[in-house]
Amino acid sequence: MLTHYSIAALAALLALGLALVALALAHRRSAPAPQLREAWTSYRFGYATYALIFLAFDMEMIFMYPWAVVFAELGIKAFLDMLVFIGLLLAGIAYAWGCGALRWE
Amino acid sequence: MGVGLAVLWTLLLALAGSALVAAIEPHRLGHGNEPGPAAELRTLPWRRSRRPDRWLHGAAPVVALIALAWAVLILPFGRELIGADLGIGLFYFLVVVDILLLAVALGGWGADTADAVECCYRVIAQLVAYVVPLGLAVIGPAMMARSLSTVDIVEAQARAGLWYVVAQPLGFALFVAAGLMQSYRAPFLEPFAQRLQQAMLASYAPPLRALWRVALSGLLFVVAAMGATLFLGGYAGPWLPGWAWMLLKTLAMIVLMLGLGRCFALRSSAQMLALSWKLLIPLGLLNVLVVGALILLGVGQGAFR
Repeated sequence: MLTHYSIAALAALLALGLALVALALAHRRSAPAPQLREAWTSYRFGYATYALIFLAFDMEMIFMYPWAVVFAELGIKAFLDMLVFIGLLLAGIAYAWGCGALRWE
Repeated sequence: MGVGLAVLWTLLLALAGSALVAAIEPHRLGHGNEPGPAAELRTLPWRRSRRPDRWLHGAAPVVALIALAWAVLILPFGRELIGADLGIGLFYFLVVVDILLLAVALGGWGADTADAVECCYRVIAQLVAYVVPLGLAVIGPAMMARSLSTVDIVEAQARAGLWYVVAQPLGFALFVAAGLMQSYRAPFLEPFAQRLQQAMLASYAPPLRALWRVALSGLLFVVAAMGATLFLGGYAGPWLPGWAWMLLKTLAMIVLMLGLGRCFALRSSAQMLALSWKLLIPLGLLNVLVVGALILLGVGQGAFR
């Protein structure tokens, strides 16, 4: 277990080393003259309501992973549980859709 | 494998995978002559913005490369030929691949020009569109294999004698659609449309742009390899060694995804969100129920009796 994640940590370190070499190489280049628009301007951030629903659904999806692993052993009981859960989620989408939340504003 | 070998394997596979994608990806993807994410990086002029945020801007490609290495870690090319066979492999994969998106958002925000910040916003809109359908699509294989470990999922398919693409065609279709969104390939390359791509990626000096190239090409590789693992039986197969099967299946996934992507008109961020929430997510929820019913009927469960 610990070995597994130490491999992940070491892989990250090695990737970091590679990237730092590239950063060092990039640092030595001089900058040409810029001709780009400033970032201080207004944007159309049209998906705020999507993002709110997304937070809820992302959390709900996480509950499904432990359930998925033990599903086959629990059988019909787990299926009925999830039937209710997914029914609620679908009703949630239908409600949001009905309220006009599923559009770019 | 020992720790040192596993680390080396992971890094080399990440580089080799992205080189593979870069080699076979056509330079013009989709319609309307929009360039692919990694395609035109070489030809872009380097334009530094007024004052890119030193830390955010510089950290972005580094984070992208680390995320790629982490994602490659759990791709199985054989029962033992894997960086680390994590018990929560599939879930871990979904989490670390999204760190690559964080990197793009960091770079766009840090570049501090209007178009690059727009790239940051659009890439996050894309996250809101793809994460849930992708997560729902990959739950099916985990249910049938009774495990989140990628090796276990491959072994379960081998023992049951059933590729999950046969048992779960709907889940596979959802995976391909959401995977194309996740890898920013046509028709879902809005955050990397020409103007935004130039603002974000061209704000990097050439050596760092090479890092982006590795990360964005590698992204398609890891998504395709994960698709091959979950739905095409991974490294299992007759005659050839395991790694060869995995390589062939990954190639098939890459070709399928790039080819399918070219058949559809490019979608805007708004269209992607609508497609995802009005079609893909309801279908994904239904898919979980369908797969559950199939398991209750005994499909793919022969291996566990």
